Amino acid sequence: MALNGDDKDFEWEPPTEAEMKVIQARRERQDKISKLMGDYLLKGYRMLAECCDVCGTILLQDKQHKNYCVSCQELDSDVDKDNPALNAQAALSQVRERQLAAQSAAPSQAPELNGGPSSSTSSQASVSVPLPRPEHCEGAAAGGRALLPPPAVPSPSTPAPTPALAPPRPPVSPPTPAISPMLLEAEEAVLVKLRWATNQLQSSASLESSIQLCSLITSCANSLRSLKELSQ
Amino acid sequence: MCAFQGAGMLPVEHLHLEHVLQTVCVLESVVRRSFGPEGGQVLFTQDTGRAMLSRSGARILTALRLEHPLARMVVECVLKHSTVTGDGSKTFILLMASLLRIIHTTACKEPNVSHAYNSKAAAEAAAARHLADKMLAFALEELHDLIAVGVVPYGSCLSWEDFTTQTQLQAHANNHCVQNLLASFFHSRLGRTHCDLMSNLTCELLTHWEFENDLPSSSLHFVKDNLAALHTPVSGFPISCSRLMKGQVIHRDFAAPCPRTDRQPVKAVVFTGFLQPKLLRAEEVLELGCGEEGKQRNIVQFSAWAERSLERVIANLQRLGVSVLLSAVKQSAAVLALAAQAEMSVVECVSEDELSLFARLSGATPVTDCWMIEPEHVALLTFCRPILLGAHRYVHVAFHDSEERVTVKPCSLVICGLGEGQTDQYACALRDAIRMLLSTWEPTGVTATTASERTRQSNTSTSFHTDDQIPNAAPFKQCVLEPGCVIAAGGTFEFLLSHALLQHGSSCSICDDTMMGVPAVCQLLANALLSVPRQIYSHSPRRFLLTQTRLLSSVQNHSHPFSLAHKEEHNTILIRVGGDCECPLEEGKLTKHCCREADVSPKAFMSDSGLESVSCKYQVLLAVLQCVSSVLRVDAVLHTHTALHSQSHRRPNASWDGTDDEAED
Repeated sequence: MALNGDDKDFEWEPPTEAEMKVIQARRERQDKISKLMGDYLLKGYRMLAECCDVCGTILLQDKQHKNYCVSCQELDSDVDKDNPALNAQAALSQVRERQLAAQSAAPSQAPELNGGPSSSTSSQASVSVPLPRPEHCEGAAAGGRALLPPPAVPSPSTPAPTPALAPPRPPVSPPTPAISPMLLEAEEAVLVKLRWATNQLQSSASLESSIQLCSLITSCANSLRSLKELSQ
Repeated sequence: MCAFQGAGMLPVEHLHLEHVLQTVCVLESVVRRSFGPEGGQVLFTQDTGRAMLSRSGARILTALRLEHPLARMVVECVLKHSTVTGDGSKTFILLMASLLRIIHTTACKEPNVSHAYNSKAAAEAAAARHLADKMLAFALEELHDLIAVGVVPYGSCLSWEDFTTQTQLQAHANNHCVQNLLASFFHSRLGRTHCDLMSNLTCELLTHWEFENDLPSSSLHFVKDNLAALHTPVSGFPISCSRLMKGQVIHRDFAAPCPRTDRQPVKAVVFTGFLQPKLLRAEEVLELGCGEEGKQRNIVQFSAWAERSLERVIANLQRLGVSVLLSAVKQSAAVLALAAQAEMSVVECVSEDELSLFARLSGATPVTDCWMIEPEHVALLTFCRPILLGAHRYVHVAFHDSEERVTVKPCSLVICGLGEGQTDQYACALRDAIRMLLSTWEPTGVTATTASERTRQSNTSTSFHTDDQIPNAAPFKQCVLEPGCVIAAGGTFEFLLSHALLQHGSSCSICDDTMMGVPAVCQLLANALLSVPRQIYSHSPRRFLLTQTRLLSSVQNHSHPFSLAHKEEHNTILIRVGGDCECPLEEGKLTKHCCREADVSPKAFMSDSGLESVSCKYQVLLAVLQCVSSVLRVDAVLHTHTALHSQSHRRPNASWDGTDDEAED
């Protein structure tokens, strides 16, 4: 094992305020865990020499020789509440963060475009920052489940994406290296259909077609959700 | 977390700082609620249905089921500490947890970036280790002086004479006496109801066992060593039935109903071996030699000869007028029969401690060879009769007065309790009180060598006696804690010491901006110390702030704690702090005189909340720092599987040089 491992650990900086908050929250959680474990010890549980595989807390064993992890089984998981797939609040905050970052990063992104894309398209890409569509957010908040993939697919709102120019993803989109390109294509295709259905819905007049368009939108959302689950 | 290493195939678990912290925090949450005068009690129930209430930290910690090696190591350290000082197990855990928390915070904020470590966790661990070592070094060198200067002047020095002449100073306002010290100890251990009773009993016991012309600590040593023989637990009675009995109680009954003898003095002999040796034992060969006329002897003749010799022994005893035989072993039926015939009572299977105490008090040596019984083996007793204590019958002896032990009036304490558990609890509290008094009156000047010895001893499981012999070494520095130094309870020690630490840190001339400097260490230690009074006053944080401000303002107002006319005497006392450690009789009287004459100590310091021993607190702090630094050195745990046990047994392995993950210079 090389002695000089990760380079990024060499330059260490003091934790920022956000990180301090996280540290504080973690400490409070640890205090809660300690208190619960102390109560269990006084009840006659046995403190084992092993740690939980998931969270690293020391395991307890009750009188029936069943192992018990205080933090996994009693307290709300520390990590789950940040997972947008499981928590609506986290999803909303993630969307907002991306939005903020896209706004700040889009101007910096513009100079990186070189070659093929003309300046007009680049300016178009920089100007038309894809705002999260309201129905996406509402769907996520109401359903409370898998969020539609964030509008990090920065397709500008032109109906037909220019094939030559693959719009650069803004740096805010979380690099998910696990998503295979096939899934990405599938997502794009579904999104395109979704967009088209939405446009149609806006302009439709008959009840029957509206209902059908809505069901199409629902099925598109479902397929996007399953695509998201697949990618995780 | 678990990594398999190499060909050894032993699972190695790397311990991170968080694990250590979590383990100790769990132990802290267990003892925290029983801490302090307002702490609660823990109800222990056994599977047999037996229930017991206790507040003793050592008892709570031993009752926990802990398989985690680090937790067990910490509990062992606590137990070893409490066998020496008798008190402070919960304080130990609280201090340790707060120190670890502070070290963890500091190490995370500023890890040692100068070394190239592979990961942030390793850097944090190294920083924590350095910090703990630095704190320990500081404590070993300078803490003693800080306490002598910053805390001791605000306390008082109890002298042994105060305690023995307590009956004369009946209602002294300040009540600086050993009784108060004991009462506050028993208050924290047993509760408010019985603390006075127990402290009175203990004081009476100690008064009786005082040796003339000797240091008070020697009588405390004697009582501590012989405590098992000096007290009798009796269950089934309320504690108010506890009393002192003259003489010694031997915890055995007579082997046969003894005839009442009215002659005085009663003569007794102590036997350590068999009067009639067993003839045939397993794996032994008895060889019968040839007798007169070349005839082969047989076993019948041999046993007849053995009986005749036994009769001769008994006749010898009768000639000496002995009427009581005390034996360490179980004698044979023939001996009992012959003794009954000769109107002698026999007590069998007496424990060695009791026999040695008996021998010491009576001045008679035990008989080793029963064919040679001389008058010096005969002990003179005033009486020797059975006594019924609770459900058991014991033998009660009283010694004939001899010139050697004029001041010692042998007495034995009968401790009553409603149930067995309760009685046991009172007896343990008594034992710990004696230990606490001993460590108060014999504050050991801890040198660096004894400190390192203690670190090693606290890590390995040594027997009780090894730990007990902490040498009463010469003082390391000039000033030594006076014997009998006490201070008001309720967190005063911690407040004063943290204030002194902060002042020392700020006045330190070393301009050391790094984390490892002395001012930083003082600051961290001062913060950690405050966790103890914070826990004491956890029910009312306002009282914490009030007490703190009151004490600190008094400290600042009184640059000299004794600011009245008796300044010269007090100056001599303070100068004496820097001098020798002996407390001659005249100066002892001086202390008493000064304390009694003028209300010198400001009321801020001598509150009604009782007294605490300064040296016990100091030893707790040192022990905690040593434990913390040795616990932080552990960075890998090897899980070993032993063949004998079905479950795997795990032992911690302190790897001093780190694993191969770290790049150390």
